Amino acid sequence: MNISYMAVEAGKIILENGGETYRVEETINLICQAYNIKNADSYVTPTGIMFSAEDERGNNLSIIKRIKYRTINLEKVSMVNDLSRKVQNKVISPLEFEKELEKISNSRSYSNLVLVISSSLAAFFFTLLFNGSIYDALVSLIIGAMLRINMNFSSKYDVNDFFINVIGGIITSIIALIFCSQFKVLSLDKIIIGSIMPLVPGVALINSIRDTIEGDLVSGLTRALEAALTALAIAVGTGIVIKLWSFIFGGI
Amino acid sequence: MIKQFIFSFIATLTFGILFNIKGEKLFYSALGGGISYLFYYVLLSAGYSQISSTFFVSILIGTYGEVMARVIKAPVTVFIISAIIPLVPGGGLYYTLYYIISENYSEALKYGMDTFQIAVIIVISILFVGTISKFINKIKKSADADSAREP
Repeated sequence: MNISYMAVEAGKIILENGGETYRVEETINLICQAYNIKNADSYVTPTGIMFSAEDERGNNLSIIKRIKYRTINLEKVSMVNDLSRKVQNKVISPLEFEKELEKISNSRSYSNLVLVISSSLAAFFFTLLFNGSIYDALVSLIIGAMLRINMNFSSKYDVNDFFINVIGGIITSIIALIFCSQFKVLSLDKIIIGSIMPLVPGVALINSIRDTIEGDLVSGLTRALEAALTALAIAVGTGIVIKLWSFIFGGI
Repeated sequence: MIKQFIFSFIATLTFGILFNIKGEKLFYSALGGGISYLFYYVLLSAGYSQISSTFFVSILIGTYGEVMARVIKAPVTVFIISAIIPLVPGGGLYYTLYYIISENYSEALKYGMDTFQIAVIIVISILFVGTISKFINKIKKSADADSAREP
C-alpha cells in the first residue's frame, strides 16, 4: 500500500476512536514528513478527512475519507500516537508500518460483558460518591447495566446518538421511579444523579476544548455542540418520564 | 476522606474501561480521578465555594494530565477525560430539570446558572493549562533550535 494511504488510514483510526481533530492532522503530516512525501497537507473535521500530496512522479494525489462510525477507544488512539512517534525517530520500512497499523486496527477492545459490568460499577460508585446510601447504589447498579445493554443493542441497529441518550434517560428515571415508589428509604435524586454518569459526554467536551486551543475552531464548535446535545438528550429522556409519572400518579 | 478517594478511584477506573484504556494508563487515569475528587472534597470542606473548588481542581487535573502524558507517553486526553468526570455537574443538571418540571422557575434558574458556570469554569481552566503547556513547549523548541544553530 502507498504511504499516503497508510498515513490517512492512521488518521482515520484516531478520528474513529475518539482522538482530537488536530491530532489527526498532526499525525498524517508527521508520517508524510518521515517518508518524504512532498506537499502533503490535510484538512480534518470530526466527520471526514481530506488529504492531498504529490506522488513519486509529481502527479497530484488526493484522498478523501468519510468517517461514519465513531466509538471511543482511547487505547487505539494512544497506539497510533506511539507509532507516529516511532516513525519520526527511526524510519521503519513501509511494509513494517503497514503491519503495525493492521495490528492496531485489529487490536481487541474489552468484551461486551466487561463493559456492562464496568458501566454498572461506575453507576454504583458514583452514587456512593455523591452521598447516596448503599440501597440507592444497588438500584444504580441495575440502571448502569441496563444503560450499557441499551447502548450496545441500539448501536447494533444504527440508532443515532441523540436517541440512544434519550432512551438512556428514560430507562434511568423509569427504573429509579419504580424502585422509589416501592421502597421509601431510597432517594430519587441520588440514584438518578449517580447513574446518569456513564452517559456523560466527557470525550466530546475535552476534545472540544483541546481542538479550540489548537485553533481548530470548526471542530471545537462541532464537538461542543455534540456535548451540549448529549446533555440535552439525557435531560429530555429523564424529564419526559418524571413529568408523565407525576401526571399519572399525581406526584413523585 | 479516604472513602471519597477510594470511591472516586474505582468509579474512574470503571470509566476508563468504558473508554477502552488499558494497562498502566488505566491505573494512572484512575489515580487522577481519585486525586481530583479528594482535593475537591477537601476544598469544599475548607469552606471554598463550589465554583472556586472546581476551578482549582481543574487546574490541578490539567497539570496532572500534561505531566503524565510526558511520563507515560500517551495522549493527554487519556488522563484528563477520566479525571474530570467526577467534577461534571450532573447533580446541578438534574435539579435544574427537576425544578423546571415542578414549574418552580426561580429555583430552576438558580441551579441552571450554577451548572452552566461550573461547566464553563471546567472548560476555561483546562484551556488555561493547555495553553500554558503549549507555550512552554514552544519556548523549549525555539531554545533547542537556537542551541543547534550555534555549533
